[in-house]
Amino acid sequence: MNDELPDVSVSPVRKVFFSGASFIWILPILALVVALGVAWQTYNSRGPLVIVEFENGAGIKAGETELRYRDITVGKVENVGFTEGLGKVVASIRVDKDVAPYIDSSSVFWIVQPEVTAQGITGLSTVLSGVHIEGSWDDQIGTSTERFVGAAEPPLIRSGQAGLEIAFRTVANGQLTDNAPILFKGIEVGRVGRAKIAPRGNYAIVEALIFEEHRSLVNENTRFWDASGFSVNIGPSGAEIDFSSLATLVGGGVTFDTFVSGGGRVQDGSIFEIYPDKESARNSLFNASEVDPLKLSVVFEDNISGLAVGAPVEMSGLKIGEVEALSGVVDYDVYGDSRVRLSVNISVQPARLGLPGEVTAQTALAFLKERVATGLRARLASASLLTGGLKIEFVDVPDATDAQLVSENGMSPQMPTTESEVSDAAATVEGVFNRINSLPIEELLNSAITFLDSAEALVSDQALRETPQDVRNLLAEIQGLVASEDVRNIPVALNATLKRIETLVAELEEQQLSAKLVAAIDTVADTADSVSTSIEGVPDLINDIRAVAQKAEALKVEELITEVTALVDTAEAVIGSEEAAALPVALKDAVDQVNATLKELRDGGAVRDLNQTLASARQAAANVATATKDLPEISAKISKVLDDAAKATDAVNSSVAGVPQLIARFEAVANKAESLEVEELLSELTALTRTADELIGTEDAKALPGSLKRALDEVNYTLQELREGGAINNVNQTLASARNAADNIAVTARDLPQIMERLTGLFAQASRTIQGYDKGDQLSRTAQDTLRDIQKAADALTSLARAIERNPNSLLLGR
Amino acid sequence: MVCMELTGKPQNVVSAKDLNLVACTRCAKVWPVSASTCGRCGHKLVSRDSQSLSRVWALWVIGFMCYIPANIFPMLKTRTLFQEENSTIIGGAVELAHYGNFGIAAIIIFASVFIPLGKFWAVAYLAISIKAGSRISMNRRQMMYEVVEYIGRWSMIDIFVVAIMSALVQLKTLASINPGPASIFFALSVIFTMLSAQAFDSRLIWDAQVKDGGPGRDE
Repeated sequence: MNDELPDVSVSPVRKVFFSGASFIWILPILALVVALGVAWQTYNSRGPLVIVEFENGAGIKAGETELRYRDITVGKVENVGFTEGLGKVVASIRVDKDVAPYIDSSSVFWIVQPEVTAQGITGLSTVLSGVHIEGSWDDQIGTSTERFVGAAEPPLIRSGQAGLEIAFRTVANGQLTDNAPILFKGIEVGRVGRAKIAPRGNYAIVEALIFEEHRSLVNENTRFWDASGFSVNIGPSGAEIDFSSLATLVGGGVTFDTFVSGGGRVQDGSIFEIYPDKESARNSLFNASEVDPLKLSVVFEDNISGLAVGAPVEMSGLKIGEVEALSGVVDYDVYGDSRVRLSVNISVQPARLGLPGEVTAQTALAFLKERVATGLRARLASASLLTGGLKIEFVDVPDATDAQLVSENGMSPQMPTTESEVSDAAATVEGVFNRINSLPIEELLNSAITFLDSAEALVSDQALRETPQDVRNLLAEIQGLVASEDVRNIPVALNATLKRIETLVAELEEQQLSAKLVAAIDTVADTADSVSTSIEGVPDLINDIRAVAQKAEALKVEELITEVTALVDTAEAVIGSEEAAALPVALKDAVDQVNATLKELRDGGAVRDLNQTLASARQAAANVATATKDLPEISAKISKVLDDAAKATDAVNSSVAGVPQLIARFEAVANKAESLEVEELLSELTALTRTADELIGTEDAKALPGSLKRALDEVNYTLQELREGGAINNVNQTLASARNAADNIAVTARDLPQIMERLTGLFAQASRTIQGYDKGDQLSRTAQDTLRDIQKAADALTSLARAIERNPNSLLLGR
Repeated sequence: MVCMELTGKPQNVVSAKDLNLVACTRCAKVWPVSASTCGRCGHKLVSRDSQSLSRVWALWVIGFMCYIPANIFPMLKTRTLFQEENSTIIGGAVELAHYGNFGIAAIIIFASVFIPLGKFWAVAYLAISIKAGSRISMNRRQMMYEVVEYIGRWSMIDIFVVAIMSALVQLKTLASINPGPASIFFALSVIFTMLSAQAFDSRLIWDAQVKDGGPGRDE
């Protein structure tokens, strides 16, 4: 067993510089370095502390509440405390280092809380997560500040939100709440900030922002007005309620428009006025810059209710001012009685008078003074028919009594007045209705109904319906009469008569008629000579005729026509009178009487008397036949008469020369006749027709057809009796007598040659006369003109007739 | 042979070092001190680890450095719908105690505060006692060392809890739990404490006896 252990070389411990130290110490050193590095970096990256004072904490918690910028957390509240004296809440906010430099004196901090407004709900996320602080600052690095005063509400214009910053000035009590929208055609183009009262308290000032993209909508001519609330209009189209949006209804709003072009660009900070409504906004555009108003007083004689403070004062329809105060005035010394007069204080805006140059109250007063001297007066006038409101008008009165615009010491100048022009619309309307009410419409309708009833009764009358049947009977009777034997014998008798005449003519031919004619022509020639000598005396005669024609022309036909018209009127009146209405009764009576007479005739054997009368006629004809034996003497007398006729023809011939002028006169007369006022006459006739119409409607007229029918019946009976009474035989006998008479004439004809000679002479005369007519071309032309005129007149009548034919109503209606 | 009694009383023990022997710490074969490597298993032979205390202290320092942020930073990030809550270790325990969960609060406090702190103290005490000596017997110190070594692995229980909760409670926006930065530091602290304890060469405890009881050899 080897107990010996091998030598163990025990080397001494090396003594090196870091004896006992191990490389393991590098690790803690490294860790320490890392830790220190991290600590330093953490400290280095820590931003500065910002202290913000708020009115109240509103839920800020240390270590939790964040500071946000554009909704990104950029810091955290580290500490919440109070200022000295517990006046405010102080929040210390640790801000991120990279943001910190931008937080300068322009920064604004506010607490974001949930908020429910008319414009919507904001800050909803903070309901559960708690409030946060929102900060707003621009993108410029400014002087750093540590203490800030927190804003109570979010600023209108946040940093980086570009837009047109303007301010509104408003005197109206509009409901401009925070954040009210600015609308343009219903679209929100901006926001209104919180309204503040101006330092002097005379108006409210509101900041507003027009968003950048809508900046160009606003220029210097833009006018803003209040769009809050709603308006109720009651007009012809019914009642209307108008409001821009629910938001503006509750929270108010502003809208605007640019009524005229050409406005310059608006700079940030411009101040605009907010008008109560669109109308005033538009009007304001046309009013020049307003200056101090001119105060006037007016005292009206009549004290009419309806004028109120604020009522317009107008001149030539333009509003130049308004009523400021109203009061009654009693002054015995000035007016001479103790009546209460209406004293009105008005203020006139000189700028609206459109005066040239500098516009002041003095220049306006001077202008008005000048105008008053030439007749300008104030008067009360109706402003609205419905409400009865009054206004004051300045009008020029042409023949005004002299008055001056006097300005007494310390008093406002008094404007002279004139009569008021106040129309009481209600009274007028009532009068119109009363008139309509009193129109006899019901009576008119009753008359129409009775007229139609009468017409219907007339048409449906039994007697009238039977009339055609009676007529047919009558025709049948006549046919029977014609077909009778006696009538057929008449042609035979006629034939015999004609034969005798033929023989008579043959006898006449046997005489030497042509020789006698030649002689007659010679005589005519002689006569013509004598006529030509006598023509010289004719002109005087023509002159006389002309004078007569002139007189005829000068006759006052128009007057005549008016007389006729008047006559027609009178006729109309007569027809319309009760007597005329009574006429049909009389007529009917008369027809009845005729009827009775006919009956009596038939009954009393009148027909027999007629037959006897015819027999007497036959005897008379026989007498004639004997009497014709004396015809030769008669023919001698005729030749004498023919001589006279020849002479007369001469005279006519000589007078022919003057005829054309005469015709001209006639033509003139015809023209006049053409231009006569026929239309009026027609209208009168129409009226007459109407009256006649009414007349027909009477009962008596209705009774007429019955009477007529009875009369026809009578005639019928009479004819029957005639046929039965042998009247035809009498006629035949009468014709036989006539034949005898013709025989006598044939005897007389032997003296005819002489008569022929005379006739020849007469013909010669006539031919000369005709020649005279041929000479007168003028005459024929004039005659032609006359004919044309007559034709025109005829045409006019034709067209009138056609018109009446087409529109028979026109006679009735008078169109 | 050497008779060893574990009576707890100092006895005259002859250490291997005194006999110029060195035992392999892996296969326990004894070699002369001069041998540098174990002839059987090839393990490096060191009679006494002269660097042991250095390593202990170095790792201890790192562990302690990590323990500070582990308590300052939040351990758990609990995010509900509208709220985000960061709770540190002690803050969480206090909060639990507020709600009446004293037991859980006590466990957390015990596992996350007392044990780590106790380990720091124990390791430091052992390291100091090597140099400066101690009134506590070597046997107890050895037991203390073994307890520290044993308990070290359980210190990770906090990290386990955080990891499990983070994995379980992930309801997107409604609620979620995430580990905070402290969890990493805490884990590092535990790791370095364990390393520190392991770096301690327990044989050094007994070396003191040799120095103290030099006369013991004579017995």
